[in-house]
Amino acid sequence: MTPEIPFFAPDYFAGDRDTLARIIHDTGVSDTQRFILGDWTQRLEEALRAGTGAADVVACGSGTSALTLILRALGAAPGDEVVVPAFGCAPLASTVISMGAIPVFADVDPHTLVADPDAMESLITRRTRALMPAHMFSVMADMPRLRAIADRRALRLLEDSAVAQGGMLAGRPAGLWGDAGVYSFVQVKTFGTAGEGGAVVTGDPELGQQIRLLRNHGQVPGQRFTHHRIGYNSRFDEILAAFQLHRLPGLTGRLERRAAIAAYYSTRFAPLAARGVLAPPPGGDGRCYYVYTLLADRRDELKEHLAGLGIGSHVYYPVPLPRQPAFAGYAPAGRRWPHAEAACRRILSIPVYPQLTDAAAERIADAVCAFADR
Amino acid sequence: MPDGGKVGATSFSSVRVYPGREGCQIPFFTQAASFEAAWPQILQHLNEVADNGKYSHGRKVAELESALARWTGARHVIGVNSGTDALVLLLRACGLRAGDEVIVPAFSFIASASAVVLAGGRPVFADIDPVSYGIDQAAAAAAVTARTAMIMPVHLFCQLADVRGVLDVAARHGLAVVEDSAEAIGMRWDGVHAGLLGRGGVLSFFPTKTLGAIGDAGAVITDSADIARAVSALRHHGRSGPTLGDFGAISNPTVFPGMNSKMDEIQAAVLLAKLDRLDADIKRRSEIADFYTDRLGGIGGILRTPALAARPVPVNPVWYVYLIETDCRDRLAEYLAARGIGTETYYPRALHLQPCFARLGYRRGDFPVAEAACERTLALPLYPDLSLADAAAVCDEITRFYRGGRG
Repeated sequence: MTPEIPFFAPDYFAGDRDTLARIIHDTGVSDTQRFILGDWTQRLEEALRAGTGAADVVACGSGTSALTLILRALGAAPGDEVVVPAFGCAPLASTVISMGAIPVFADVDPHTLVADPDAMESLITRRTRALMPAHMFSVMADMPRLRAIADRRALRLLEDSAVAQGGMLAGRPAGLWGDAGVYSFVQVKTFGTAGEGGAVVTGDPELGQQIRLLRNHGQVPGQRFTHHRIGYNSRFDEILAAFQLHRLPGLTGRLERRAAIAAYYSTRFAPLAARGVLAPPPGGDGRCYYVYTLLADRRDELKEHLAGLGIGSHVYYPVPLPRQPAFAGYAPAGRRWPHAEAACRRILSIPVYPQLTDAAAERIADAVCAFADR
Repeated sequence: MPDGGKVGATSFSSVRVYPGREGCQIPFFTQAASFEAAWPQILQHLNEVADNGKYSHGRKVAELESALARWTGARHVIGVNSGTDALVLLLRACGLRAGDEVIVPAFSFIASASAVVLAGGRPVFADIDPVSYGIDQAAAAAAVTARTAMIMPVHLFCQLADVRGVLDVAARHGLAVVEDSAEAIGMRWDGVHAGLLGRGGVLSFFPTKTLGAIGDAGAVITDSADIARAVSALRHHGRSGPTLGDFGAISNPTVFPGMNSKMDEIQAAVLLAKLDRLDADIKRRSEIADFYTDRLGGIGGILRTPALAARPVPVNPVWYVYLIETDCRDRLAEYLAARGIGTETYYPRALHLQPCFARLGYRRGDFPVAEAACERTLALPLYPDLSLADAAAVCDEITRFYRGGRG
């Protein structure tokens, strides 16, 4: 049964259906018959590059694939260690493992849920090649400190900014604090599209060139069938590039709408901290409202309470990465991640998408407040 | 444009500037007319995608998987992001371990070998048969070592590799057979579809393929429930349980270190509409191929038209690519290009001579049949939209090239 207010937006592209159909039709019947990595992709890359001030933006198959391409370009190799947060999405660990390298899990901050820089630094060994912090839900990781640690310890810094496109921290866009960062365009993201896609964003033009090689079977752009490196098939569809260019002018407005809903929630929820429902740190620098996540002492009860009122919510992620079957083998015996483990018991995300009406946001806030008052 | 009145005002019809394609009267590839003809069905599928509200890894992908299972006879079809990804996922699902060797023909698209590396294995190359361009049985047998785990035949252009020969070698040495059947939709060995002769195979839906999307897409096909289950998890970050059509599956437990290789719903929508026409498309391709062979066969001795290898069981060609061989391949390609006829060179460099495999230590001369094919082969325009008049024009220009003594 779909709740009256679903957690995932019911129709992301309602106003753009006809435009999308038009793009698909025109691409299908075009004289050029160009379907991947063509003029539209270049224009999207250039628009994102100009918008962020990056040296290069390279569109590719997905945010996960973007992380993989960066790790490969940086030369991650078997035996290398990459320090990642213990709380987050599977690609943080699986992309490292796909290099034959070892993910080393660092605990997170108990409130912001992003990687704790001190915890990350304490896990650096002589085998460490890179730090890979991730922005989480609505909070960017402490990139200034992580940048300083990476510089001091001569490590590469990969910024998993898949969820934070549009975020800024200390005047620098998400994705540009690391040697390279990523964007994910999967539908639900802040710049989601009508399919799978992602991008690498970097201030290092040479790294950008390597990524361009790696995303298309190791071929130098324009020179087919000579393969300089073992590459991937991680390319960008022209139809999605054209659609993203159409959607780009509306991005700022959609981000502002997300932030406005979050600001309203934060005002309503501020008094609940003493009653077992903790809101994320309120708006401002280093915030980007992809997902709005509460920390609730009685999380499962809150979820049921909301469901009973027709309000969808979601628990991600219910299990810390080193406790997942795929990654448990990389978790040293006896090591604990108490903040990540506590977060997994308490997190509950509520709707924050731009299509959410004021009335719906108010209903959600009322429901959460009523629960805390019980 | 027939839908011009129905869609939004924003125009995206200015996709124009691609050097090399401009002004080509007979392009190497186009599906524009087919796409236009299929548009009403495509639009219907697209509207269902929008109504479902999920644009990748959703109900259309599930519908396509079922339709392809019926069409190929495969028990399981798993939609993924590309044929290359399909190979990587298939190799992993078949249990390839770090350092395992996989025997791969030296003449193929790079993915046949790079997928082995991406799955953690090591490609070992073998020479090909000059008629089918598929792996040579004796060469495959000679490449077996103590570390060999699998043989990967690749079915190229219009026919299957020597499946019986490969299965014999595999059985003798206890190896798994994994097929690169990316180009082989519709090809059957004694009634069994390509990709289902060993542990599993792949399909590529790159737009130029016999069944083509309008972007990257691919699939794994297999009769093994275990392999299907593993591929299904691996394509969605290694997450367990059913994930198609479910946004919330993002929080399912991760059971394998997987990847993101989900198929777009838009591509599934296009493929479903085109699948209805696939039998007719294959027949049309066959008519054009027969026409080429009829008209170009007379230039024998100078130019080799494709030949079908003799097999011990019934097999059927499917004309994905019409590949000729000639001593003066590059000059012929230039001559045709100057007359507005597009061609393609599949493949100009053998796999063992690719820079990315330099450290494997192969040399020029190791695989003479593959190397000769790289020097001599040229693909002519062949697709359902091509008229016989266009095919005749291609033949006329080729004939003129040789009559003019340029050959």
